[in-house]
Amino acid sequence: MKCKRCDLDTVRVMTKSPVGNEWEVYVCDTCHYSWRSTEEVHVNDVFKLKPDSIPGLQQIPPIPPLKTK
Amino acid sequence: MAKVYKDLREFLATLEEEGQLVRIKEEVNPEPDIGAAGRACANMAEKPAVLFEKVKGYKYSVVTNVHGSWQNHALMMGMPKNTPVKEQFFELNRRWDKFPVPPKIVSRENASCKENTVTENINIFEILPLYRINDQDGGFFISKASVITGDPEFPDDLNKQNVGTYRIQVKDIDRIGIQALPFHDIAIQLRKAEEVNEPLPIAIALGNNPLVTFMASTPVAYDQNEYEFVGALQDGVPTEIVKADTAEHLYVPAHAEVILEGYIMPRVRTCEGPFGEFPGSYSGARNQCEIKITRITHRNNPIFENLYLGMPWTEIDYLMALNTSVPLYKQLKSSFPEIQAVNAMYTHGIGTIVSTKVRYGGFGKGVAFRLLSTPHGMPYCKIIIIVDEFVDPFNLEQVMWALTTRVKPTEHVTIIHNCAGMPLDPSSIPAGMHDKLIIDATTPVPPEPNPRSVELLKPSPATPKWEEIIKKLMDAAAKK
Ligand SMILES: [Zn+2]
Repeated sequence: MKCKRCDLDTVRVMTKSPVGNEWEVYVCDTCHYSWRSTEEVHVNDVFKLKPDSIPGLQQIPPIPPLKTK
Repeated sequence: MAKVYKDLREFLATLEEEGQLVRIKEEVNPEPDIGAAGRACANMAEKPAVLFEKVKGYKYSVVTNVHGSWQNHALMMGMPKNTPVKEQFFELNRRWDKFPVPPKIVSRENASCKENTVTENINIFEILPLYRINDQDGGFFISKASVITGDPEFPDDLNKQNVGTYRIQVKDIDRIGIQALPFHDIAIQLRKAEEVNEPLPIAIALGNNPLVTFMASTPVAYDQNEYEFVGALQDGVPTEIVKADTAEHLYVPAHAEVILEGYIMPRVRTCEGPFGEFPGSYSGARNQCEIKITRITHRNNPIFENLYLGMPWTEIDYLMALNTSVPLYKQLKSSFPEIQAVNAMYTHGIGTIVSTKVRYGGFGKGVAFRLLSTPHGMPYCKIIIIVDEFVDPFNLEQVMWALTTRVKPTEHVTIIHNCAGMPLDPSSIPAGMHDKLIIDATTPVPPEPNPRSVELLKPSPATPKWEEIIKKLMDAAAKK
């Protein structure tokens, strides 16, 4: 299965419904997008992600330099 | 003594008695039903809380829009549900001065949040009916958590323990993302932990006494204890807390529905968002912190309380309205007793109206500068309107009157370039920088000239009598 946002096939089942066999939730290990099998997913073009752009996204909060003891 | 709620359940019972909570007994789908109902409430005149008893595939119930109307807000404070906003503001101010009211620490046996404990095979979907709030959100979000962290440098200083509201994205069955913006209290603590590559212990309380949630989203000083404020806002009745299980120095609300415990993984950032945010637009994907959950405690049949955010006004606007206004009022008032009231209800204070007496020429503009030098006002407040003491800043018709009859644009409108801004405001470019707009709509006083001074129209002293007569006739007509 391909990720609905970044198009990679790094998708796995995160969990299944605790009651009955109603749905599964999928998550992409690259961009962390997640969705439920019962959803009609449509990721708007503006929110699609290219996998190689993810490391360059703004970091919040910035990781501080390590303090040497 | 005002009515005080021990926990969320007591408050929900009151909301139901007062006609401010509806129950959905039929099974609903997680998407789009729960988010859509939150939006629907916000569109209505009465705006009740909505309790979903059955959500497809889940064990437990969800409640939304608990704080989402002025009626619910008044009931939270133990006031009659139709109390006007300005009265709620002044009542909050009165109780605020009771700070600090130390919380009562209860034993683990007496804390309802510890009725059940999960330490193995943690899966938050087993406890929480998680769902997508808005359709372009990057996942399922927990939007109404009270997040508790300590200061790694002063772990025993309870005043530096922070209880705050931060958005949380579900990343896995036991991992969640959290947004800690650099100017938030939690970022101070996280920085200290990350500098030495240590995890930051964290506890997340869901489904709280409504004033705990209210205080968690209130901007108070870093060394002020939120629990001591809850006691103050409960008119002097201490709130009950209990020690967290996994961290000696963290205390959680004793009767929360669910407590997630764990730690922020140091020096880790993963993709988070987008998320539909309080300015009514999505904030995009960024690399943000992650929490590993190591323990869950919860009440029997826990209720998952979550909030809807959308185009204002929605529940979050009610939750953050007066708790943004009151601290700003207190800070301004302590410098200038002339301040009458502060309405910082528009998009978390991005738009703020201050009513003040004017002691000398330029005073109104000076009050705006003071607002911009408060910790919350510096990044958030962008459009600042100053009105005379006799203008009610909570009455927008009166504020518009002041703008239309008091403002000379060339004299009274000031733009200050290149200041701090609120990054989630989409007009802040780059995110975090902004200009400030000050409109001084007070009447000019010397030495500022006022060549066309006017006499204001005054109501007849008989007006209150007539208000009563007309109201009685209206009530009688409504009963027919
Ligand atoms: Zn992906």
